[in-house]
Amino acid sequence: MLRTVLSDLARLRLNGSVCSVTQVREKGHLNRPRLRNPYWFIRQQRSQTDDQVTGENRSFIKEVIHDTYGTPALIKGVQTYEQKQLIKTNELPVPTEPWTPAVRRCGVIARKIGQYPLWLKNGERIRTTLLQVVDNHVIKYIPPEEYKPTQRPNVHNLNRYGCALVGAESTNPAQLTKEYCGIFRDSGVMPTKNLARFIVSPQAALAPGTPLNVGHFRVGEFVDVRGKTVYHGFQGVVKRHGFKGMPASHGVTKTHRRPGNIGGGGEKGRVWPGTKLPGHMGNRWRISKGLRIWRINTKYNVMWVQGSAVPGSTNGLVYIYDTILPLRKPQAAPPMPTLYEQPEDEAPDDIWYEQVHNFKDESITYKPE
Amino acid sequence: MAQLLLRNLTRAGNAALITKGTSSSITGAEPGSRQLHTTQACCEIRKLARLRVVDNSDLGKRAMAEGRPPRCIHVYNKRGVGLIGDKVLVAIKGQMKKGILVGLKQKQRIKQPQFDSNNLVLIDDNGSPLGTRIHVPIPTVLRTILKEKTLAKGADYTKVLAIASRYV
Amino acid sequence: MNINVRILTKSVAQQYAFKRIVTFSTKPTQQAAAAAVPQQQEVTGPTVRKPIVPAHYRFVYPEFLPDPKVEWRNAVREKLERLDMLDRRRQIELPEFYVGSILAVTSSDPHAAGKTSRFVGICIHRERCGLRARFILRNVIDHQGIEVVYELYDPTIQKVEVLRLEKRLDDSLFYLRDALPEFSTFDENMEAEPLEEGAPVPINDIKVVLRPRPWLERWERQNLLGVANIEQYIKDKHRKSAEKVQKPWEKYDLMKQYRATIPEEEQKEIFAEVHTELHTLELQRKRNKRKRTFVKPKHLA
Repeated sequence: MLRTVLSDLARLRLNGSVCSVTQVREKGHLNRPRLRNPYWFIRQQRSQTDDQVTGENRSFIKEVIHDTYGTPALIKGVQTYEQKQLIKTNELPVPTEPWTPAVRRCGVIARKIGQYPLWLKNGERIRTTLLQVVDNHVIKYIPPEEYKPTQRPNVHNLNRYGCALVGAESTNPAQLTKEYCGIFRDSGVMPTKNLARFIVSPQAALAPGTPLNVGHFRVGEFVDVRGKTVYHGFQGVVKRHGFKGMPASHGVTKTHRRPGNIGGGGEKGRVWPGTKLPGHMGNRWRISKGLRIWRINTKYNVMWVQGSAVPGSTNGLVYIYDTILPLRKPQAAPPMPTLYEQPEDEAPDDIWYEQVHNFKDESITYKPE
Repeated sequence: MAQLLLRNLTRAGNAALITKGTSSSITGAEPGSRQLHTTQACCEIRKLARLRVVDNSDLGKRAMAEGRPPRCIHVYNKRGVGLIGDKVLVAIKGQMKKGILVGLKQKQRIKQPQFDSNNLVLIDDNGSPLGTRIHVPIPTVLRTILKEKTLAKGADYTKVLAIASRYV
Repeated sequence: MNINVRILTKSVAQQYAFKRIVTFSTKPTQQAAAAAVPQQQEVTGPTVRKPIVPAHYRFVYPEFLPDPKVEWRNAVREKLERLDMLDRRRQIELPEFYVGSILAVTSSDPHAAGKTSRFVGICIHRERCGLRARFILRNVIDHQGIEVVYELYDPTIQKVEVLRLEKRLDDSLFYLRDALPEFSTFDENMEAEPLEEGAPVPINDIKVVLRPRPWLERWERQNLLGVANIEQYIKDKHRKSAEKVQKPWEKYDLMKQYRATIPEEEQKEIFAEVHTELHTLELQRKRNKRKRTFVKPKHLA
């Protein structure tokens, strides 16, 4: 500030012959750190007015897309394009340091596709949710030195971690804005509908273009699943907080589903923070933590996860992370930085946890004592 | 508490003709029952739930024959709702007796039988049954549940299993 | 051919009855049954290339059809579920049965003395789809009514035998709980009564005698066909209130029907996927059965 004033004075003195004074305009306050969104938060959809495009041009656009990204294909149960040039096996990064429990690996984007029961080998029935990893590719890895987010995620020692940008479900780039497509240009990945960033240790850094599959996780381990809960709109206390309501009759008027008293008087004569009242229900980000993976299907990229309370609706997006619960962290090293699937590998379609009953096995019987 | 309940019950019992729930389901069509206001039988065993004695103890047989089945006046667990194998205190013919629930009307787990009546076997304080035979089937889960309870509580409930005629 | 007969007999039996729309029920309504007859002739004519799925599959294997609720559907999930169901069916014979058939289920039971338990009873209800499919068996043993819920694909089930294959007039037989006990009493040592091959599944038009009120449900409101003496116990006020809750327009509500069922084209797609597998399993079972019947007299002699 002072320097600018001095330089302005010097300028005044230099061209003092001219009797005009250059104005100094500055903000009336100090520079506050502004909360900027990450650069990949851009408008995604282009306005859809394709009336001007002739049929010829449309087919040309299609041709260009096929030339750059390959023909449309159904890969692991998801409609996408075969992006063959992405997989460069010789360039795959090999982790230099061994895995430790402190390492944060990348997560994946998945869709919740439904729920059905499985049975354990002791005859017990468990409820499971099926999560399908949908066509995930790493778009970019930002090393710790460069990753300085203005909105800091709640991660301890953030300066030690980098950030991996992952995209899921490739889509037709002709429908997207130029800026949005620019995010994908360096990696060569086809533009995707969904993006997510994962906080990653430098040991677990991933090269752009790496596909992420369900093999990233192993059977029997625990994951955290983050999703947006089902939106119920503005709801009363009975539905939102499970209040009992009041009787339908016996002289009760106009207070059948109302909250009733919400506080005392005197010194506490106000509504205390956190009082359960009507309001918006659902549509919040929630993480269910420590869910065991019971079974994995590599053919369709599906994992069966404990419980039927995974946040979000069926066919909704969820994000899967390695669990942060200290007692449920894996004992042995998981695939680092991820499992690179080779086409010549002949892995079984279904991988079952040892406790789960495989439907191909015979019926469960108990040994007489 | 239990004694007070019992006194009330015995007084009220003379006046009211009991047609609720289990009694009518056992004795079948009673001519007088349709005139009375009746509600659907409570499927949970709580206090004042009517039960059906299914052993051949003299007391139980007489109570059932008179159409005055026992009432539960206490459930010995923390929730206050009796589940299979739970011990209950019942008021039967002006006395307080203990019993074990051996069949329930409420929804059961998969593969576990659900009965049309709430069945009870009378026991004494040591856990040995008053009767010598149970004349309806009892669920096989009871074998595990009662064995566990025998270890935990010190009283020998497995004698109830010995007098069962059939398992389902 | 026999499918047509089956559908026709059903439609005749229910000609004047009001048909309530039941979720998960794939029984043809009257209009559907009438429409099905000419349609089949059309289909058999021109296209022969596609595998022809027998039309009765949706009644024999109703659990292969997913829940019609749109929000819960997902093609990949349904496919995986079907694969698991087929895997299980390769291990154990899950025969054709209906509400009203008499079944014997042998399941492994950690609590029982021999570690297995067998229960015989009439199937009073079938519900849910996929791996969750389940049914309720009811029997009266030692004058005590007993019901057991089984899951069809539960791996602890060792054997499902159909002792008597038949249908009843209603979609679910919960009214047996309020009927006289002899209507739900079945002998535990009952011999299986095999039907002739290719014969239509008989409909048992037995009318059940109810006990006097109080009942567990208001049966007079449900337009039951298999109850004989419902009029005996209801008064005018019951009749009036039953009339009030009737929805006779629902049978014309095409959207309701559409939402409650899987469209025919999708059913065809689903069954085309599993048809060959199910068919080979059926044939295998038949062969085994024939072997067994051949061996039997030898064994006795």
